[in-house]
Amino acid sequence: MVYGNKNWLIKNIYSERSRTMKITGAEILMRSLLQEKVEVIFGYPGGANMPIYDALYFYGKKFHHILVRHEQGAAHAAEGYARVTGKPGVCLVTSGPGATNLVTGIADAMMDSVPMVCITGQVAAEFLGSDAFQEADVVGITTPITKWNCQLTHADEIPEAVAKAFYITNHGRPGPVVIDITKNAQFEKVEFKYPKNFYVKKLKTVNKYNSGDIKKAAEIINHAKKPLMLVGHGVLISKAEKEVLQVIEKTGMAVASTLHGLSSVPFDHPLYVGMLGMHGNYSPNKLTNSADVIFAVGMRFDDRVTGKLSKYVPIAKVIHIDVDESEHHKNVRAHLPLLGNVKDVLISLLPHLKKNNHKDWLGEFKKLDKKELMWEKKRQEKNKNKITMDIVLSLLSKKTKNEAVIVADVGQNQMFSARYYKYKKPDSYITSGGLGTMGFAVPAAIGAKIGAPKRLVFAVVGDGGIQMTIQELGTIMQERLPIKILLLNNEFLGMVRQWQQLFFEKRYSFTHMENPDFIKLASSYGIKGEKIEIRKKLDSALDKFINFKGPYLLEVKVEKEDNIFPMVATGTSIDEVRLE
Amino acid sequence: MKYTVDIVTENKPGVLYRIAGLLTKRKINIERINAYAVKGNGISNIYFTADIDDKIVYTVVKQINKIIEVIEIKYHKVNY
Repeated sequence: MVYGNKNWLIKNIYSERSRTMKITGAEILMRSLLQEKVEVIFGYPGGANMPIYDALYFYGKKFHHILVRHEQGAAHAAEGYARVTGKPGVCLVTSGPGATNLVTGIADAMMDSVPMVCITGQVAAEFLGSDAFQEADVVGITTPITKWNCQLTHADEIPEAVAKAFYITNHGRPGPVVIDITKNAQFEKVEFKYPKNFYVKKLKTVNKYNSGDIKKAAEIINHAKKPLMLVGHGVLISKAEKEVLQVIEKTGMAVASTLHGLSSVPFDHPLYVGMLGMHGNYSPNKLTNSADVIFAVGMRFDDRVTGKLSKYVPIAKVIHIDVDESEHHKNVRAHLPLLGNVKDVLISLLPHLKKNNHKDWLGEFKKLDKKELMWEKKRQEKNKNKITMDIVLSLLSKKTKNEAVIVADVGQNQMFSARYYKYKKPDSYITSGGLGTMGFAVPAAIGAKIGAPKRLVFAVVGDGGIQMTIQELGTIMQERLPIKILLLNNEFLGMVRQWQQLFFEKRYSFTHMENPDFIKLASSYGIKGEKIEIRKKLDSALDKFINFKGPYLLEVKVEKEDNIFPMVATGTSIDEVRLE
Repeated sequence: MKYTVDIVTENKPGVLYRIAGLLTKRKINIERINAYAVKGNGISNIYFTADIDDKIVYTVVKQINKIIEVIEIKYHKVNY
């Protein structure tokens, strides 16, 4: 194929003639991605993926390619895109450093069950293993952090690998996959044939629960006196929000959410009792251990949720729905594991459940909620004229009618935005929960905005995290993405500082940060911004921030030594949750 | 406790690496291992014996079973 003659090529790309003729591996990759209905690619060109980028030059109109400023940004952007759309995010990077720069993002996607297909260039097959320029053992490096990966050295292997990759990444429990393509395979010419059938043996059936299990589960729930449902990311992944509501409303059971389960149940639902975990709400942490039935739905009993494991749910019967068999009994022994897609299991279960209510049990939550509310009021009174993260997030929530997408970074900003933004719509809280990757928010917000252009997208980030991926402001500039960046600046690595205060006798070892002028920095990227230091100006600044058309950075100087509470200290039981 | 794990898998590069990785992650040391390809059908058998804590053996085996190429897995205690 003559790449020099662009018009000829574009005209013939979909013609019969080009369908039967030999084309390059790079173009085969383009066609394969089209077969998988890929619309967006986050990437960065380099030596070993140049043939692919050359093919992309001709297929430019078929894909929206976003040129990131660092490959880690591509990975997080792909995650953000996948989290709001449910479709796999696609990254395209070069060999060696291009691929190793992806590693943090791939590990992040693996921990948080995000579908992602990463295509990495590789040195030509004849140089493999010779320590060639920009050669890295990408398959070796990414094996522990991918659901599946492969290396292709011939063009004719590309279609099947792509088909398999897209099938695997989003089937059952989602996770990242890597396809490493050597440069010679990108140049090699073969006929394009997309496979209809390929062999991926056991992924086909994800639902392995039977009707006996369903009846048993229903019986346990129907006889429960103090049932508590714990919803996790699995609810959002399988889009089972409606089914969750049907189950809780029928059985009257209380429902609490993990960090990743946030926004699956609307915050104002009368049966919703709040967030679980280290910085979750007071009542669900305090009362989990009093429940007689724990109904875990698409969550994995992370250590941040369970606290001290030996003291977790001592009396409850645990029913655990998960699509991943290895999650059953991993951290918490389930009395009844149900292996399957959350939505399907709940649909099967629903007719067997009896109408019920648990007023006394819910009353126990309400009583403790009052205690949290009183503490909250005292806190607000104390901070009346100060700016704290909670007040910023509460105001943002109110002013956006609780409907925006919040992409939170990691640390105090993450926990404050989990707790004080009131989530109403599904897929509204996106963060790096498992790996806890600082620098996640800005690039992930790019992906989220591209995936959900009609929604308001906010990156909530601290002064530490923003500087880990601040180069992506360039991507926002080039793509003219109307992303709102809420920078909560306390001149500290706030969460580490909080721990130093509480557990290391205030020895603030290297947690104070001297920062650049963020507004000037944003302005050099053509991004408007404002810095707020006094409480009185917060209201109007937020209004301007929300309503501004285009990207905007609002830097809020918040209290330097504020802490996030409630808190379950490491090594203690969740019922030892403290308010200060 | 010593366990023998018996795996039937597609005969593809990298499967043994994934299995070894899952064991390494938990500091499990392989004491004996045997792998051979079944002629002609693209299937491979891998057996290994290792000292694995009773509390985690189920999870480790299920995690190995998650490897895309793995078709079947069994495990049993070894009595010396």
